[in-house]
Amino acid sequence: MDTDILLQAVVQGLLIGSTYGTVALGLGLIYSVSGVVNFSHGDFLSLAMFISYALYAAFALDPYASVFITFPVLAIAGGAVYWTLIRPVISGHLLMIIQLTLGLNLILQNGMLMVFGGQPLRVPSIMETKLLIMGDVIMRWPLVIAFCASIVLAGLLFLMLSRTDFGRSIRAVHQNPKAAALMGVNVARVRILVFALGIGLLAIAGALLLPGTPLHPSMGLRYTVITLLTLVLGGMTNFVGILLGGLVIGLSEAIGTIYVSGILGMILPYLILVLILLFRPAGLLGKA
Amino acid sequence: MRPNFYHVVFSPIWWIAIAALATLPLWLPSYYLHIATLALIYAGLAAAWNIVGGLTGQISLAHSIFVGMGAVFASALLLQLGINLWVAAGIAAVLSGAMGAAIAWIDHRFRLGHLSFALITLAFAEMAELVVLGWDFLGGASGQSLPRDEGRFLLFQFGGSHGYFWLVMALATLALVVNLAIINAPLGYFLRAIRDNENAAQALGVGLLRNKMIAMAISAVLTSMIGTAYARYSTFIDPHLFASPVLTIEIVLFATIGGLGTAFGPIVGAILLVPLGEILRGQLGGVLPGLHYFIYGTIVVVVILALPQGIGPAIARMVRGFRGAKPVAKAAAPSAKTAAEAQGG
Repeated sequence: MDTDILLQAVVQGLLIGSTYGTVALGLGLIYSVSGVVNFSHGDFLSLAMFISYALYAAFALDPYASVFITFPVLAIAGGAVYWTLIRPVISGHLLMIIQLTLGLNLILQNGMLMVFGGQPLRVPSIMETKLLIMGDVIMRWPLVIAFCASIVLAGLLFLMLSRTDFGRSIRAVHQNPKAAALMGVNVARVRILVFALGIGLLAIAGALLLPGTPLHPSMGLRYTVITLLTLVLGGMTNFVGILLGGLVIGLSEAIGTIYVSGILGMILPYLILVLILLFRPAGLLGKA
Repeated sequence: MRPNFYHVVFSPIWWIAIAALATLPLWLPSYYLHIATLALIYAGLAAAWNIVGGLTGQISLAHSIFVGMGAVFASALLLQLGINLWVAAGIAAVLSGAMGAAIAWIDHRFRLGHLSFALITLAFAEMAELVVLGWDFLGGASGQSLPRDEGRFLLFQFGGSHGYFWLVMALATLALVVNLAIINAPLGYFLRAIRDNENAAQALGVGLLRNKMIAMAISAVLTSMIGTAYARYSTFIDPHLFASPVLTIEIVLFATIGGLGTAFGPIVGAILLVPLGEILRGQLGGVLPGLHYFIYGTIVVVVILALPQGIGPAIARMVRGFRGAKPVAKAAAPSAKTAAEAQGG
């Protein structure tokens, strides 16, 4: 009986954690080429979900279908935000950029509140109530899809980074923007495209998270915090580490809520994070 | 102590400004007096944060813990154990100082980068909020209500809005004076050396751990004291306000927008932004939920784009341009180098 619950918790945690990993990958990409810590990352995720909701409300589109609309919309929004807001202050103090993106958090969160109201919303999907039963473990299909899609996405990203010219230019800018510029890499172009890609990824993550997740305009900051923790755990720019970080956070969340009673169980992920960071300050896979 | 400190503290402008501020409760309508009180509370908190965030360059997101110690923990000592609130405030302040020093020790012991430090302190703050929400001794999620204020000074009661205005004014002034004193004392030079280049500071014989711990402890004690005053002023202690990391984010916003590392910047930031937020809420809160925060956020973004060094230094430049160059107490704004290091960290 006990091992059943543990197994269930582990599976649940891994499935959820993979999506955290995907969300954090977007932020990690952005950080690696521009050093920007985007505190409105979670709000772009909720923006993606709310656009999916609007598309569902207007055209009864399933979130898995509307991702083909939300992806370009978010990618363009990401590029535009970089060009108009981030670029002018990118050489300034780290805190200035953090505060700027926190201001963006207020704008996005309350913009959505004004448009969609404060009551929790749901977007149904054909997959929402379907269950996958394997032996003693019961999994919700949306989570299984999210897990598989996250792994595939991560794989595509690795291929892109290691095999394409664009990927090589991203790595060049990450290692040394000045040297990359001297080698003929258009740094501004790489940054704007990576912003577009990093925010666009949130459209996919949003669609994966949507089935079964209630929507509220104020949820963005919480996602941002989880994402940042994942990112730090993964070592900021180590993409394998980031995925792993997502799994660790998801696992500790699932196990914390099942095994430690009440609200104190929610402390577990933070505690684990602090402990890991203290002993591996460069992240799970990072070199100290 | 450099003469600059006395130059500011003994200047007639300083005393006139304080006297003018102290008359506010005598003629300001109560609604605006409430806003002014809030503005001074946040001004004090921003100035206290500045000692760590602005002068030492350590982006601490743990300050909601210290506010929570002063507000939630001190009130729990009063309500659960019947400890006099003055004593409780003292206990909370001392514990906050110790916790601040401990956090600084962890930061130093494990050589955390700027971003890791920020996020570890954020994780601490999240944990602290969960502890408050989950522990009945601290009031849990439903919060605590302090007994009605009967104006008994010995019970930390200041009798009505006038008394609290003067109390928080004194605390904000104290935080400002501490900032000025640190900036003009050897400690301030050590802290700024640490901020601008830790390795170089260490090579010159600046004790990193000692100075970081002192800065954090001073900041934490001030924050906790203001937390108690804020709690007593509000009477009801909502854990979602007093123990929430969002509170720290607001404090950092005021300090950053006002001007990091300067003594007056964080105060200016809070004194401009708190009333702006409150008045926007008063005017627009009923019109469309979210509209006032939307406008507030837009203003924040525009100010950062227009004045990336902060409002305070911009005003100081204007004043100096107006009177011709005259020495004004100010610290160098954080250099681009710090930012580059922070990004690498």
